Amino acid sequence: MSITIIKPGIHSSLQNLGRWGLQAFGIPIGGAMDSESAITANRLCGNDDNANVIECTLHGLVIEFDELTTFAVTGGGCRLQINGEEVPFNRMIKVVPGSQLKTLPFEKGCRSYFATPGGWKGNAGQVLNVGQILSTENIPAPHLAASIVIGNDGFGIGNWKAPEIELPSIHSTTNIHMLPGPEWDDFTEESKKAFTESTFIVSPSSDRMGYRLNGTALKLKKEHELISTPVTRGIIQVTNNGDPIVLMADAQTIGGYPRIARVSGSDISLLAQCRPGSKIKFIYNP
Amino acid sequence: MPYPRIYPIHDHALTIEFSTLISEEVHRKVMQMKRVIEKNSFDGLVELVPAYTSLTVYFRPPASQIEVHAILQEQASNLKESDEEEVHRKIEIPVCYDPSLAVDLEIVMQSTGLDHDSIVRLHTENEFKVYMIGFMPGFAYMGTLPPALEIGRKKTPSLNIPSGSVAIAGKQTGIYPSTSPGGWNVIGRTPVRMFDPEQPPYSYLQAGDRVRFKAISLPDYESYL
Repeated sequence: MSITIIKPGIHSSLQNLGRWGLQAFGIPIGGAMDSESAITANRLCGNDDNANVIECTLHGLVIEFDELTTFAVTGGGCRLQINGEEVPFNRMIKVVPGSQLKTLPFEKGCRSYFATPGGWKGNAGQVLNVGQILSTENIPAPHLAASIVIGNDGFGIGNWKAPEIELPSIHSTTNIHMLPGPEWDDFTEESKKAFTESTFIVSPSSDRMGYRLNGTALKLKKEHELISTPVTRGIIQVTNNGDPIVLMADAQTIGGYPRIARVSGSDISLLAQCRPGSKIKFIYNP
Repeated sequence: MPYPRIYPIHDHALTIEFSTLISEEVHRKVMQMKRVIEKNSFDGLVELVPAYTSLTVYFRPPASQIEVHAILQEQASNLKESDEEEVHRKIEIPVCYDPSLAVDLEIVMQSTGLDHDSIVRLHTENEFKVYMIGFMPGFAYMGTLPPALEIGRKKTPSLNIPSGSVAIAGKQTGIYPSTSPGGWNVIGRTPVRMFDPEQPPYSYLQAGDRVRFKAISLPDYESYL
């Protein structure tokens, strides 16, 4: 089974749940930004949670199906159309060869995940390019897929679904729960207060490695000697000019800035669905 | 603050920090702690990541933060000046210090007041310890440089440091495994591949290794490639 990437959109890559066991060699874990949605997509397709999925950032990805294919899309950040018809997230879909799937602009969420039974072959982490062909292991689709009836428009939709997730909107503020980081008490009382009471905006220079946030500048009680310490996904560092950076999926293993806080594990996927320009507020319930 | 200090950096990762100051002795404890945890591994242990002054333990269920915290606390309180000799690899790395490859040689000579030969001598006559790998895949932080060779980071980082560049900053020396931006002062280049994405364990060096640099000529450097 294979598909062709007609357009990769803003940024599309193959992802799984990351490579573990190599951080001692300086190799980041990587993996899907919204790992919860990646897992859901795989489960809809009967895959292992760690199977490769396509991670599409916002919209613009266009896929052509070279063969009869079943697949599922989860997450958010775009609308889906097959041959010009709107199709839903969180369901298994079956399409005939020659059909095209388009991702179109949508105001909620940031990343969508495309899974297919067997998972996409290739190295996790690779960025997808125009004209690239992706194939899968030849395994039979889950029995349920056989029940999907293909209509006149060239596709059919399964009548079961995975639960929808809360997608952050660009027009409202998203609450992100945090816990104090190792250097929390090295920040001034004013800065600690500002961190949990003011609103931050996800900067346009954010990527899979980190979200830069703009808002109140955060200050240390006294200047730190810069010693390199361990960091990982969710850690919030504060740069010399006072801006927080939340480390995301491609976080480096060692960082040189004070770590004011960390995002609670339960909200990391939610944060990954916030796009540049989103407003976020950190919630701390001691 | 009492040390060691144990704190989470993730729901599934605890760091045990032995000090905020870098020293041989602190790093010895870090590596000792790593060996103790490896020997007394537990269900759910994912990986151990040593740094200058700390060890980070990644875990997943069935291990819980409370349990791992207790394990770290107990093992740390049992750490003794170990009588067993720390096992480490001794690695010799050829470096060409030719000025054509040592792009920051002028800055280093000016700042340290040393001539080229003295810089090469000080860099090759000492054995350095690999404290940790980080910053980028395969980048080894090594120390400790003799005080005469100490020089601060460049004010403006270079955008393109060629892969294999051997550089110094503060009390540290390191090798850029691939072409990247960076603020350390480049004094030579090695033909050895420090990071190979095709060959496990991918990184040529690991924390705890002892490294000695060996000066080679430009023709020797070129024949290595």
